[in-house]
Amino acid sequence: MATIRAVRPFALPAPVRQLILSSRPAFYSTASSPAPPPQSTVSETEVSHFSDLASSWWDPHGPSRILHLMNPLRHTFIQRCRSRHPDSASSEKLRYLDVGCGGGIFAESAARHPQTKSVTAIDPTPQVIAVAQKHQRTDPRLMEPGRLTYLNTAIENIPLPPTPEQGVDILTCFEVIEHIRHPRPFLAQLLPHVKPGGWLVMSTISRTWTSWFTTKLVAEDIMGIVPRGTHDWNQYINVEEMKAWADKLPGWGSPQSMGVIYVPGVGWREVRNSESWGNYFFAIKKDA
Amino acid sequence: MSLRLLSLPCEARALALKQLRAVPARSFWSSTASQAATKPSGPEIYDVVCVGGGPAGLSLLSALRSSKSTSHLKIALIEGQDLNKSQQQYGSITGYSNRCSSLTPGSVKFLTDIGAWQHVNASRVQPYHSMQVWDGVSGSSITFDPQPTRSAPYPGYPPTNTSSTIATMTENANLTSGLFTHLSTLPPIDIHSSTRVENIELGTETEEADLSSWPIVTLSSSKQLAARLLVGADGQNSPVRTFAGIPSRGWDYGRMGVVATMRLSSAPGGDARIAYQRFLPTGPVALLPLPGDMASLVWSTTPANAALLKLLPKEDFIAMVNAAFRLLPVDLAYMHTLSSGQAEEVAWREPNTSFSHMQVPPKVVDVQDGSVAPFPLKMRHADTYHGQRVALIGDAAHTIHPLAGQGLNQGLGDAAALASHIEKAVNVGWDVGSSWALEGYTAEQWIKNNAMLGVVDKLHKVYSAESGPVVWGRSLGLDLVDKLGGLKGWFMRQAAGGKRGRGHKAAWMPRLCGRILHLKQLKSYNIRPHINNRRGTVEANPLYLTPRSPVEVPQSSFQPIILSLNRTITPAPITI
Ligand SMILES: Cc1cc2nc3c(=O)[nH]c(=O)nc-3n(C[C@H](O)[C@H](O)[C@H](O)COP(=O)(O)OP(=O)(O)OC[C@H]3O[C@@H](n4cnc5c(N)ncnc54)[C@H](O)[C@@H]3O)c2cc1C
Repeated sequence: MATIRAVRPFALPAPVRQLILSSRPAFYSTASSPAPPPQSTVSETEVSHFSDLASSWWDPHGPSRILHLMNPLRHTFIQRCRSRHPDSASSEKLRYLDVGCGGGIFAESAARHPQTKSVTAIDPTPQVIAVAQKHQRTDPRLMEPGRLTYLNTAIENIPLPPTPEQGVDILTCFEVIEHIRHPRPFLAQLLPHVKPGGWLVMSTISRTWTSWFTTKLVAEDIMGIVPRGTHDWNQYINVEEMKAWADKLPGWGSPQSMGVIYVPGVGWREVRNSESWGNYFFAIKKDA
Repeated sequence: MSLRLLSLPCEARALALKQLRAVPARSFWSSTASQAATKPSGPEIYDVVCVGGGPAGLSLLSALRSSKSTSHLKIALIEGQDLNKSQQQYGSITGYSNRCSSLTPGSVKFLTDIGAWQHVNASRVQPYHSMQVWDGVSGSSITFDPQPTRSAPYPGYPPTNTSSTIATMTENANLTSGLFTHLSTLPPIDIHSSTRVENIELGTETEEADLSSWPIVTLSSSKQLAARLLVGADGQNSPVRTFAGIPSRGWDYGRMGVVATMRLSSAPGGDARIAYQRFLPTGPVALLPLPGDMASLVWSTTPANAALLKLLPKEDFIAMVNAAFRLLPVDLAYMHTLSSGQAEEVAWREPNTSFSHMQVPPKVVDVQDGSVAPFPLKMRHADTYHGQRVALIGDAAHTIHPLAGQGLNQGLGDAAALASHIEKAVNVGWDVGSSWALEGYTAEQWIKNNAMLGVVDKLHKVYSAESGPVVWGRSLGLDLVDKLGGLKGWFMRQAAGGKRGRGHKAAWMPRLCGRILHLKQLKSYNIRPHINNRRGTVEANPLYLTPRSPVEVPQSSFQPIILSLNRTITPAPITI
């Protein structure tokens, strides 16, 4: 959910914003935040907007367009990580856990991918899970038993795999961590779900003047489309900080990153060494 | 929830019903018949349903089946004609079919890459190596020989065409037959041949799934197929385009293309074959080489002239074709008023007319029986090539004047582009029927085809003038183009199916311009870019580009500034 706000805050219709705000408590609780946000319930108007949102989420020209366009790069990044480490590039089909799946943009594409065995996708916001499940029904392939499972829950409620080998091959967490006040405990909860040789794959925004300009100044102060305080720019994490965290993690290694830039009218582009500009992907591999 | 029904003509319906009673659906090579049996109630679900087994449809399916990423897709082909019978008929043909096309090296490369070209009967195709084009009114000419493509227009320019072939003449039936044979060597697809599309409507929501965005195709055999992606490769009057509500605009030229298979006194140009085209005020006449001393005629002319040509006795028809390349337009006009006796007219007029023997083709000596056939000429272009779970390729998307021999090549270009966009979509888990998968296809092909349609249309109009500044201008034009190697090289590359922009690092720029131009064009038609009619969304808006494979964007000069600013403004590091 957090995703949209992070990437293109100024393009959000009111119901989406409200839903985003209402989705925050779970993340905050995940991160054991001391201060709960003011909005925590879903109002009647939000519910009545629900059908609009459901159609606009997957509307090719709707507010989530930019996220849909970013999706292929997520696969590119995952494939690159796996191909650089041949021991994780086995021909066996992959199992995914997608944390903070929103309306299912990545989860659906992962479930449809020829190299995928199954996808479990979770989000603490009931409304977005309903959107995701409604859209899942438009593709009979995604309705095959076990291919794509949505759960309206937070990561702490997902039982740990009985043995490490039963963890997932890929745990994805796209555009979420920038909204977590205390990322370290949150990230710690993700780690045990990955099997040895598997990957934790994330994307987020760097804490730079460019990201401050687009997400804070333009979106909140100048355009006023996102309520002030929606983003805490100080919570954005730079790629070096990610690396520093990963270096200290026992049993994890091979950090990978990829910077991407949205060029209006052209789309998302990978730009070498642009991790420090704004949006970037980051992944680490659990030792086999 | 209004369902859009196809308006089939009455006879088609009656015929379809008759077929329904007489023969059950023919689905050969069916790998999925057993799967269908398990769920008799609903429509059978396919990834790709292609309506139309012409060159465009068959090459798309060949491309999809021969790529590793897309070979597993569940595919159905629906073709109104009997594909097996066409195959047999072509196998026992005497002489050459009158429907021939000149395939550009780009088209041949695509067909070779997908493994289909090796199934085309090579003894029946004829590459040609130069083109003689001249103006019937002013007499000015241009010779397209392969040299200009070899010389670089500017230093460091990559050569686009290392061989000297301009194009390769192929009977359409040879191509479709080769494609059909190629398909039979690949993982099976469900082929419904001699089966017409009876109806297309959107699906419904059931307990298992919501097919309300899926086109459900009902066949004349009453079988129903649900299409994740419905491809309209169904020719000019595309039922799929009608279903998707995609408008197609253009005009009729008020001209007919008269085709015929001719025998010449000798092979034109010997080993290095020559194609000839002369612009007459009524339209261009072209003689394109087939193997040996055979050639394919395409003569665009008025409906009245075409009707006369079709009725002429053999020797008079032959005389008229020879005259078309040699005599003055005024003589030709006169001879079109005679119902016979053209042979004698030409016999005394020709010695009194001066023309360059270098310029004209060898004398036509015979015409193959029954091969003279007129086709109406038109220009059409669909507003977009995709809608919700629908894509159009080939003549379903565009129809072009045959003067540049590009129609079939454009269809093959569409097939190649659509196949590659489907492949890309599969590799990133996109639904192949979604706008995400298809908008890049429209963006890539529409502008390219539109440019070609425009150029060919203008050529037709410019060369239809008989006198005045247009004629002086165009003769100056041809002479100038002939002298300017670089410009001629450009024309040659266009004719030869110039390099595709894909994969080129700087290719985003033309694509962006393409989208803007397309949007402008839509605006001029007063179409809203995005018509959401809820049940069948027509997305006529390819303004946005889909992400492509990562490219290294040239590092702009202000990057260091941004980086250093970032460094200055970034607050104290955080430890996670
Ligand atoms: C005089 C003339 C000369 C030409 N010369 C050249 C040339 O030199 N070079 C060149 O490149 N091009 C040339 N062309 C153009 C070329 O022939 C066409 O562009 C090409 O045939 C189009 O291929 P297609 O597969 O898109 O459509 P088609 O070949 O029209 O195939 C459409 C198929 O769909 C089937 N179909 C339609 N409706 C249904 C239905 N409801 N159910 C089931 N099946 C259906 C039809 O039976 C048909 O087989 C020329 C055209 C003309 C008229």
